Amino acid sequence: MNTFKKIVVWILLGVMLITLVSCSNKDNKKHYVAMITKSTKSAFWQSVFAGASAAATEYNLSISYAGPELEEDYEYQNDLIYQAIEDGAEAVIFSAVDYNANAKAIEDAAKKGLKVIIIDSDVNSNQVTCRIGTDNYAAGCMAGEAALASSEEKIHIGIVNYDINSANGQQREDGFREIVSKDSRVIDIVTINVVSTTEDARKGTKQLLEEHPEINVIATFNEWTSLGVGWAIRDLNLADETTVVAFDSNVVSVGMLETGEVDALIVQNPYAMGYLGVEKVAELIRGQSIEKGTIDTSTTLITRDNMYDAEYQKILFSFH
Amino acid sequence: MRKKKISLSAIIVSLVVSFVAFILICALLLFFKIYLSSMEQNAITSSEQAVVQVSNTVGNYADDMKGIMDIIKDGFDQSEDEREDTLNTLMKVRTDLVAVYIYDENQNMVSSYTGEYQLKKEYLKNLSYVKRENYETGEIYISEPHVESLLENYYPWVVTILEEIENEDGSKSRVVFDISFSKIANYVDDVGIGQHGYCFIIGTKGEIIYHPQQQLIFSGLKEENTEGIADHLDGSYQDSNVIYTIKSLNNSDWRIVGVSYINELIASEVISVVKTLIIMLLLIMIVAMISSYVMSKVISKPIQKLMKAMEDFEQDAAGYSFQSVGGTTEIQALSQSFDHMVVQIQELMTKVRKEEITLRKTELKALQAQINPHFLYNTLDAIGWLCEEERSQDAVEMVNALAKLFRISISKGHELITIEKEVEHAKSYLKIENFRYKNQFVYEFIVEEECLPYYCNKITLQPIIENAIYHGLNRMVDDGHIGIHIYAEEEDIVMEVIDNGVGMTPEQIHSILYKEPGDKTGIGIKNVNDRIKIYFGEKYGILIESELDEGTCVKIRMPKIERENYEYI
Repeated sequence: MNTFKKIVVWILLGVMLITLVSCSNKDNKKHYVAMITKSTKSAFWQSVFAGASAAATEYNLSISYAGPELEEDYEYQNDLIYQAIEDGAEAVIFSAVDYNANAKAIEDAAKKGLKVIIIDSDVNSNQVTCRIGTDNYAAGCMAGEAALASSEEKIHIGIVNYDINSANGQQREDGFREIVSKDSRVIDIVTINVVSTTEDARKGTKQLLEEHPEINVIATFNEWTSLGVGWAIRDLNLADETTVVAFDSNVVSVGMLETGEVDALIVQNPYAMGYLGVEKVAELIRGQSIEKGTIDTSTTLITRDNMYDAEYQKILFSFH
Repeated sequence: MRKKKISLSAIIVSLVVSFVAFILICALLLFFKIYLSSMEQNAITSSEQAVVQVSNTVGNYADDMKGIMDIIKDGFDQSEDEREDTLNTLMKVRTDLVAVYIYDENQNMVSSYTGEYQLKKEYLKNLSYVKRENYETGEIYISEPHVESLLENYYPWVVTILEEIENEDGSKSRVVFDISFSKIANYVDDVGIGQHGYCFIIGTKGEIIYHPQQQLIFSGLKEENTEGIADHLDGSYQDSNVIYTIKSLNNSDWRIVGVSYINELIASEVISVVKTLIIMLLLIMIVAMISSYVMSKVISKPIQKLMKAMEDFEQDAAGYSFQSVGGTTEIQALSQSFDHMVVQIQELMTKVRKEEITLRKTELKALQAQINPHFLYNTLDAIGWLCEEERSQDAVEMVNALAKLFRISISKGHELITIEKEVEHAKSYLKIENFRYKNQFVYEFIVEEECLPYYCNKITLQPIIENAIYHGLNRMVDDGHIGIHIYAEEEDIVMEVIDNGVGMTPEQIHSILYKEPGDKTGIGIKNVNDRIKIYFGEKYGILIESELDEGTCVKIRMPKIERENYEYI
């Protein structure tokens, strides 16, 4: 009898406790996530934010977007990371300007218990839960294939790349070189590194073409440098003489694709990066375990021939 | 013994609680069934309402486009300049109007009005034209959403509207305008059904015209089963836990699809309902537990008391007195019956004892009447022989002893005699026997003075002494010795008869104490033992200890009795 009573009492107490706990309104404070990117201005990042916002709405998270003025400013990125820790972010979705220089701040954030998810460009840390972005090496290979579509018999390649410390640019260049170096038509490859702004890339490209007038194929690996190269080609009126393989799309570079300064655009899926980044954070916050590793978002090769096809329109032109 | 012990109150509590729980759960399930079906109905209704709203809005949008078309057509009735003015004003006023193009019958662009944006000098593709095999004049053609491909650095998503009109001269113009789709897109984005529900627009073949999450769909992050949807007629249908509501627009080929999730619509509400219900259920359960516990107490406490009482009665039936137990009427009835039973049993017990005693008395009398004839012959033989020998002194002693023996045996029919007399009786018997056995054994009495006045059953010692002589000493070669010790021990009197004879096996001891002597006349040890027990209770009686070849000690224990008319109660 006594044990029976005890058992009953304990069961009752347990059930009451559970109900009390479940009934006590959980503080309905939204979980806060900080997204820190390389830049906030470009169409690429705008699209990332659009995807992130969609997911944040869907998963009921509050999210902030921040990034430096200049795509080289890793110090400001580090400040933003510490700021996010201050502001009580539960996770940081990060795209690193500098593979090594951002590592310490990310490690510190992870020590403070923040979940770290990398999108687009990697950082040198093993505290990263998940990496989401373009398979940069494969995208580079895709650019290489597009460059070899050039009908020239002797191909002289110029590469206009951005910050040498930025992981994704280097990976793209590696993929690109891997493909083009296999082709016997390729005579030489010259690389310059410019600051990631349209103006700087424009200057750099002009200088490159002055120094190496034989260059007839140019590859470049992000939105700003793509525009710079496009402008330089337009300035030098070399649209017909050079094959330009560029990255990402915005209104201007799409126009250049149409008018011929640019011959192929490797379009990534920034919307998916943003969306998936936030989705993964939501899963982590909910306590689900997610697979460590990388999630590759798709890339598409857009040329003059397919840019107005129904399917490619949807990839190339954002809806809002 | 008893089976597994389950207490009554446990049974009652668990019965009541499980019964209550069962009823509650049934009620809950029923409630849920009704609640869920009504919730589903609500979900469908709200989904349908949302879809109707969207279809109205999108329908208005289509009407609006027709309105714009009418304004443009009206411009054709005006002069060139006026028409220019009208169209330019229209472009300014209607911010969502991206461009207006006028084509002739052969699809050559005659004029264009593009507002602040420049028409491209060369364009790759003209998407702003609805191609049909043939056109019905006055019929409006609407394209699927596409990107504006004719303007410099401006790529909005638009819908193209085309109508062929007849000019005054009989030639035909085709009026085409592109209207921004973002207004519709934004509107559709903002429609929510439940938490995650949404609307989207499909074409007749099930192709997606606009989907708020179309970027996810194009990225392959999400799937929308549009083919399955396209086959359905207008109305609502359910697919696992998703409600699809479809409505076709009256004035175009588009269809609005509303998607909502039942579990989600219902889940949040159900959770709150469930919480309240669970709390209620718990309260009811607690009340049930407490009340059933109290109930069980009321029922089982008295039963436990009754149980205890019965146990006590089992332990000590004779000395038991019963306090009646309170409780429910049934329990009271039980306890009263038990009370009667106890009284009756106790009466029966005393009656049985009395009967037993009477029985023993009559038995004893019968036995005394037929005192062992061998003993008598032998004794008389011995006396006769003494007379022959002219040992008159010895003969007199023997005769006296025999007489005393008989007198005390009979003692006016009393069962209890003083120990003094009993000792005398034993002595007389021993005298006779010792003479007969020619002093083969010696005996001694050690009797405490204070024991003499107490009473004991008559003929207690004699059968034991007889047993010692016949079974113990008779077979001995050496001289025998019998000691009779009588002493007080606290409230009891103990008599011991100790011999140094051959002893007895445990089997023999058992048979002496518990088996009727067969054809033997006379009074056996069993008879003595039985009488003591009947008179004074189970704790008194005879205890025999014996070792073979060493001897036997018979202990007789009885209480100190001070009156001869003692009745054991």
